[in-house]
Amino acid sequence: MIRYLLRGFQAHLQSGRSLFVLSVLGVALGVASVSSILILNRSALGAFEGSVRAVSGDADLSVLPLTPTFSERLYPRVLASPDVERAWPLYRVDVALAGADEVYLEVLGLDLFVPRDVPWSEAPRDLGQALTTPGFVAVSPQFARAQELEVGDRFEVTSGSRRVSLYVGALVDFRSLTPLASTTLVVTDIAQAQDLFGRRGELHQIDLTLRSGVDASTAIRRLERRLGPSVRVRAPEQRTAEAAGLLGAFRLNLTALSLISLFVGGFLVYVSTRAVLVRRRGEIGLLRAIGATRAQTLVWILGEVSLLGTLGVGLGLSLGYLAAAANLERISGTLTNLYMLEAVETLDVPPRLLLLSGLLGIGGALAGAIGPALEMSRRNPRSLLAGFVAEERLGRVSGSVACLGLCMLCGVALWCYWVGETWRARGFVLGVALLLTLPLASPYIVRTATRRLSPRGFGLRYGMKALGLRLHSTAFAAAALAVAVSMLIGITLMIGSFRRTVDLWVGETLQADVYVTSESWRRARDAAALDERVIRGLAEQPEVIAVDRLRQFFAYTGERRISVAGVGLASPPGRVPYQLIEGEQGPALEAMQAGAGVLISEPLARKAGLEVGAALEIATPSGPRSFRVVGVAYDYTSELGGAVMSLETMTAAFGRGAISNLALYLQPGTDVQMVVSRMRRQWSDVPLRIRSNRDIRREVLEIFDQTFAVTRLLQVMSLLIAASGVMLTLIVLARERVSELALYRALGARRPQIFRVFLGKGLGIAAFGLGLGAIAGVLLALVLIYLVNRAYFGWTIAVYWPWRAILEQLATILLAALAASIYPALRASRTPATELSRESL
Amino acid sequence: MSPPAVLFEGVSKIYPRPDAEPLRALRDVSLRVPQGRSVAITGRSGSGKSTLLHLAAGIDEPSEGRVEILGADLGRLNDAERTLRRRDQIGLIFQFFHLLPHLSVGDNVALPAMIAGERDYGGRVLELLERVGLADRARERVDRLSGGEMQRVAICRALLRGPELLLADEPTGNLDDRNGQRVMELLLELAAEGQRTLIFVTHSEEMAAMADTRLAIHSGVLEPS
Repeated sequence: MIRYLLRGFQAHLQSGRSLFVLSVLGVALGVASVSSILILNRSALGAFEGSVRAVSGDADLSVLPLTPTFSERLYPRVLASPDVERAWPLYRVDVALAGADEVYLEVLGLDLFVPRDVPWSEAPRDLGQALTTPGFVAVSPQFARAQELEVGDRFEVTSGSRRVSLYVGALVDFRSLTPLASTTLVVTDIAQAQDLFGRRGELHQIDLTLRSGVDASTAIRRLERRLGPSVRVRAPEQRTAEAAGLLGAFRLNLTALSLISLFVGGFLVYVSTRAVLVRRRGEIGLLRAIGATRAQTLVWILGEVSLLGTLGVGLGLSLGYLAAAANLERISGTLTNLYMLEAVETLDVPPRLLLLSGLLGIGGALAGAIGPALEMSRRNPRSLLAGFVAEERLGRVSGSVACLGLCMLCGVALWCYWVGETWRARGFVLGVALLLTLPLASPYIVRTATRRLSPRGFGLRYGMKALGLRLHSTAFAAAALAVAVSMLIGITLMIGSFRRTVDLWVGETLQADVYVTSESWRRARDAAALDERVIRGLAEQPEVIAVDRLRQFFAYTGERRISVAGVGLASPPGRVPYQLIEGEQGPALEAMQAGAGVLISEPLARKAGLEVGAALEIATPSGPRSFRVVGVAYDYTSELGGAVMSLETMTAAFGRGAISNLALYLQPGTDVQMVVSRMRRQWSDVPLRIRSNRDIRREVLEIFDQTFAVTRLLQVMSLLIAASGVMLTLIVLARERVSELALYRALGARRPQIFRVFLGKGLGIAAFGLGLGAIAGVLLALVLIYLVNRAYFGWTIAVYWPWRAILEQLATILLAALAASIYPALRASRTPATELSRESL
Repeated sequence: MSPPAVLFEGVSKIYPRPDAEPLRALRDVSLRVPQGRSVAITGRSGSGKSTLLHLAAGIDEPSEGRVEILGADLGRLNDAERTLRRRDQIGLIFQFFHLLPHLSVGDNVALPAMIAGERDYGGRVLELLERVGLADRARERVDRLSGGEMQRVAICRALLRGPELLLADEPTGNLDDRNGQRVMELLLELAAEGQRTLIFVTHSEEMAAMADTRLAIHSGVLEPS
């Protein structure tokens, strides 16, 4: 049997190369989509795990702040705990490499006296040097190489408005501990770190090991009780799980999109398997006639498909890896910009992930083949040897199948309406039902439409008319294209609407003329303090009439990590930087500024189920504190959610802290760009980012586009698969319909005419795919906007129609389908009249 | 003097085979069919009947010799020119009818006109269908017709563009005797009406007897019957 299987596979490969190549390509592109996203998702978590492992090493537990920092007075209390064997404090701060464009380093302040396994690749000559040399740091060998630094060199970093000179005293290679560790970790003595970048007496983390026999969960409970409400104690795996939870929606959405490509790839396998089986039905009939059982026939067919799937998986995994590598930087940017997580520097590809992608690919191929395989294996030998017209059955039942699809869709829609917002995944279920309806409805639609089409000549229209006869090939190719188009249109519409919403929101909320922050702020947030002298200097510029001040950090409400902002609003009347979705703007802002409550962002309101009047409990250094919600504001900066309070309220609750951002309002009629240029010149020795309103809007949209770049890759992959589907279908038709083509030639049809007829078939498939896909795409966009986005990200997105982008995409798809038709059309046009067989057409 | 409808001069057709001797389907065939005549060619399966028809239709090219159709030497024409000759001057009828199931009866008949880019053919289609008694079924699907009816539709298709030469490959081979007889009579009648030349291949001596001339082909050699 295996020998027969391999021989059959070889023969199939030789006799239908293009069919084979396209089928393998379909599986490969599907697997590439899925595996690239799985690799990127895994690498994102791997980077976080790597960072945890590199920093915390073999620590059993970490004490972490619920606010930006906690007092080092807690350290002796940790040491005094009977559960703790060893403990060591850490000070962590993100800084920017001066003179480089967005190169950030994470400075790790360690107590060098505490015995700890630091992976020195080149150790300091003596500990005294590390303690006494100003700015002594150990950098990774990779970073040193990239920046052409050697031990003994100095380099400059910035933290807020400060410039700090660092001395390369040693090299430390965290990658020897864990391959995914960041190469931008910088180690220094904790006291130096506090002096250079922050404040003495504050810590970001205490790592500890437990005495043997102590249960970790018991120790966590005891330590949290002992250390008070300003900290939480977590095991490394809990921290990774939290990061995974933080990225959950992001990862889920990308994975769901990538699976659509695999779904489309399954159609290709269906079409090709069917074509191969129809061609080899005589062989199957013979096997059955000489004693092969139905089960053996089924195993033989599925065995061949598995071999094909395996080849597709092999190619797909390679393509997936390349696609992941190409998108690593974009994903990394999204994680650092939107989720404040570690940058991803390397891809993490564990074998189980490859196995999962492979199984998904082969599973997809088998799912595509199972229908035709079962159909063929169930036939009796006589009918197989006599030949048959399988299309007729699909034609007959197409109405019922379409009805079933529509009923399923309506049923799922009603169910989604009924369950309401109680089940987050309802949007995905409705989306899947919508996409499943396409292949179910397409045979009926293709059949009905082509039946009504009256050919007036022998050309494009004639080609379209003939589509209804081969529904098994044509309708499913149209369905595959429709699925890809719906994904393309749906996501384009969603992203276009989202982009326009963000653009308008930015226009409404970015009311100031000039925005000032530091180079390190994007990563360091509250640690990127602006010096009071700088703030005063900027505020005293002659054109400046008002200054808003911002202090921001991350804190916890329950288990939820949110952004907490303290604002000192001085904006002129009518230029308020908040747009409320709930609550009255004037009174809400007054109440917030008076310290009577906080504004919360829409994602937080949705995810935590908060509304105006509710109490938001945020962890502060002195324990949880309740803030009354006075308004809910639109906010598209992060799905994590956030709260805004007055600077005074923040100081009272969290203690004193530095301002990290300024918004400057200029006198009306001022040339903003001129002022910005002058300020940049004037403050050139301070690492500031001074941007005009226009600059910052552009930057916001750039970040937005970067965030959705991966989505576009998935769209393109799905479209490529669908275009391959059109080509595959036409090749199948050209092969199956040789006699028909020969008849046309015998009746006097010229080659260009046959070519046009085949282009017409391609155009017809494209037209059905585009039509169905456009309708489903709009519906899918509404599902994404109103259900998926709200449930997973918490954003309100207004629907806008990016007509131009949609029309461009539709035209591209049409051209792609036509381009995909050219090769089969050429092949078909070369059919000689001598191929006219004696059999019936 | 008008040229013969079909002229074969020393025509041979050899098919090369990879692992065997080349197959000589026709051997030094010479044939002259004046316009307006009907010719029946009989012979066993594999004797070369269909090859002869294919060469006459310009579907295939001879390995040796010369084929002339209505005065045109097919050997001097390229593929596109031969195709146009076939479209405009030759009507083909097949044993298995070769009707397209996705087209209606009327559209099947109209196919040559569509291929020729004609616009106004509806009247002629109905006229022909009426002539064969199928006008009321013009809109029906062809798979609802009987074998005899299908062949009548195929004859209409072959006649639509008024070809001067009709080539029929076993036109009654897939029909029962009664239907076969009727179809053959119809075909001869319609050919005669238009002064068309008809060459048909058949197994049936009875059908062959209905033609003006009878020829037989044995192992690629053509001889009077």
